[in-house]
Amino acid sequence: MPIQHIDLAERASDYPEALSASDRREAPLWRVLLYPHRSMNATGFVWVIGLLAAGLSVPLFGVFGTAVLWGVLPYLVLTVAAVWFFIMRNYRDGQIIEELSLWEDEIKLVRLDPKGHRQDWQANPYWVQIAEHDEPVKHYLTLKGGEREVELGAFLSAGERLDLKRDLEDALRSLAA
Amino acid sequence: MADAAIQGHEHDERGFFTRWFMSTNHKDIGILYLFTGALMGFISVAFTVYMRLELMEPGVQYMCLEGARFTAAAVADCTPNGHLWNVLITGHGILMMFLVVIPALFGGFGNYFMPLQIGAPDMAFPRMNNLSYWMYVAACALAVASLLVPGGNDQTGSGIGWVLYAPLSTTEQGMSTDFAIFAVHMSGASSILGAINMITTFLNMRTPGMTLHKVPLFSWSIFVTAWLILLSLPVLAGAITMLLTDRNFGTTFFDAAGGGDPILYQHLLWFFGHPEVYIVIVPGFGIISHVIATFSRKPIFGYLPMVYAMVAIGALGFVVWAHHMYTVGMSLTQQSYFMLATMVIAVPTGVKIFSWIATMWGGSIEFKTPMLWAFGFLFLFTFGGVTGIVLSQAGIDRAYHDTYYVVAHFHYVMSLGAVFAIFAGVYFYLPKMAGRMYPEWAGKLHFWAMFIGANITFFPQHFLGRQGMPRRYIDYPEAFAYWNYVSSWGAFLSFASFLFFIGVMVYTLGWGRRVTEANPWNEYADTLEWTLPSPPPEHTFEILPKQEEWDKAAH
Repeated sequence: MPIQHIDLAERASDYPEALSASDRREAPLWRVLLYPHRSMNATGFVWVIGLLAAGLSVPLFGVFGTAVLWGVLPYLVLTVAAVWFFIMRNYRDGQIIEELSLWEDEIKLVRLDPKGHRQDWQANPYWVQIAEHDEPVKHYLTLKGGEREVELGAFLSAGERLDLKRDLEDALRSLAA
Repeated sequence: MADAAIQGHEHDERGFFTRWFMSTNHKDIGILYLFTGALMGFISVAFTVYMRLELMEPGVQYMCLEGARFTAAAVADCTPNGHLWNVLITGHGILMMFLVVIPALFGGFGNYFMPLQIGAPDMAFPRMNNLSYWMYVAACALAVASLLVPGGNDQTGSGIGWVLYAPLSTTEQGMSTDFAIFAVHMSGASSILGAINMITTFLNMRTPGMTLHKVPLFSWSIFVTAWLILLSLPVLAGAITMLLTDRNFGTTFFDAAGGGDPILYQHLLWFFGHPEVYIVIVPGFGIISHVIATFSRKPIFGYLPMVYAMVAIGALGFVVWAHHMYTVGMSLTQQSYFMLATMVIAVPTGVKIFSWIATMWGGSIEFKTPMLWAFGFLFLFTFGGVTGIVLSQAGIDRAYHDTYYVVAHFHYVMSLGAVFAIFAGVYFYLPKMAGRMYPEWAGKLHFWAMFIGANITFFPQHFLGRQGMPRRYIDYPEAFAYWNYVSSWGAFLSFASFLFFIGVMVYTLGWGRRVTEANPWNEYADTLEWTLPSPPPEHTFEILPKQEEWDKAAH
């Protein structure tokens, strides 16, 4: 699912790859990773390229050893390369990661866009406000606090945003208690 | 960061030029494909009417060397112009195969409805989608240009048949054939880019929870078609590139005098050509499934067998190509193989036909216009399939090869199969796309005129074929006159129904009754596109839809 809850019980919340790991030494109390939905996994990609290459090789058997092979082959290679490139490109377009971490005295959001640009936002969890809007997407979430208002999980589905909002509110509430 | 963006966005503020010429929106591009396909279809159908006019009586009365005419000429005034005839059959074939049916079904309905059905926000590559469309327009322009630029026999256009067989195509004079090859190249590139876009969208952008076995049948049909395109069109591209170099650069890939093999061209062409006919018909299967389920008020019977039947038809389509060329001198073993493999296709096709019938079984069937077209499709496609089984037999094919029996067969599966599926789709989705409802009586009149007209056109051609009338000739002996005369009247009736259809569309789009509800049919039209307002707004599913909106079984 496009929301990955980092399980604190297994002490996995402070994995070394965490985007905000370099900023804080201690493990966060709560952390969540958000990313856009992609319905095909890596195995599926292997199947697609494999089937395509196998299928395209069928006409080649008949023309091996003739000059005609060199007329046909470039187009087949080009097709496989194009499919490879475009599916990879689609994965890359979906490489948006938002990592939201919560410490007692700080809430921190780090976002990586497909080109790898990193954007940071932090605030004091005591003052932070979660706002919900109906535009531009249903249950659009924004976080207020700190120097500016930021969006959260705009690429998730509406239901997922609602779940996220509930979980985040619970986490903030347990922090206050 | 992702600073909050809380502005309204629902307003469609694009100007006409921006919306239609620079469109990256899958729905707008789908509509562009449908309209361009219709225009090309009109040109292509106009050719056939002129050809049927010529074939109405024995002798040549219209296509004269002295000038093509619209009124019958006396024998003394008319020297038959076989080149014009050949140009028209070539143009009809190329337009219909590459630039009418695929763009309408795959480009038009596929673009518009596949992303909607799987709950994707748009195609995976919206700008590449725009590129595909304009390459298709360029291909149309090249194809029409090839009719008008200097060709063989010191006339314009090339009369080489849509299959572009060498050596006819490599020796035709003028640049017309080069234009035709470029047109096919361009439309092929357009289709391949489109197919990559469709495959990526289908595989990677389905809404969460929509597993492959829950995807609606139309989207599956588009996915299977995209695979057929990806696997077959590059082979054609290679083959026609070699034609081009044979024509212009002195290579001899298909010239026996230089060590080449003209039969090899036929193998390559039909390795593409047979999947091509499934590329044409498979999206039709998808549309028909939805129409039959909706108007029988039952879920489709045997969803999974339906999906895998399409996959099987697609896969088998790649191993039967040589049944188009039994007479080129293959070994007995080769012919036996291609004969058996071809007959095996009847199995998955039968699964589909019987599943459609089982869907209707015990349903409460409503004969709205789309359902009539679906019925027409079912009856006629099955009919064409049966003559296909006849032709699949190498021995019988010796007698029928290149006769009107073949013409009747493939027009029953294509002209009456694929085209009826297009019309079923047009009437089924018109209220969704346009937000306006067609007049029911007009849709029914169009159906009956076309159904009767097309049958009168093509059914007698079986008789002509059995009597031995060869295809691709401008004239015939007097013995064939009777059924040719009947067939021509059928063509005129079909053409009249097409003109009537254009009128119905103009009326509906301009003045038709407005439809505002999301689903004008009934609850068995249960795919995601029917949850959207009619017509759908510019942007849909920026929020991915929830499972309960499309998956009734889960709740």
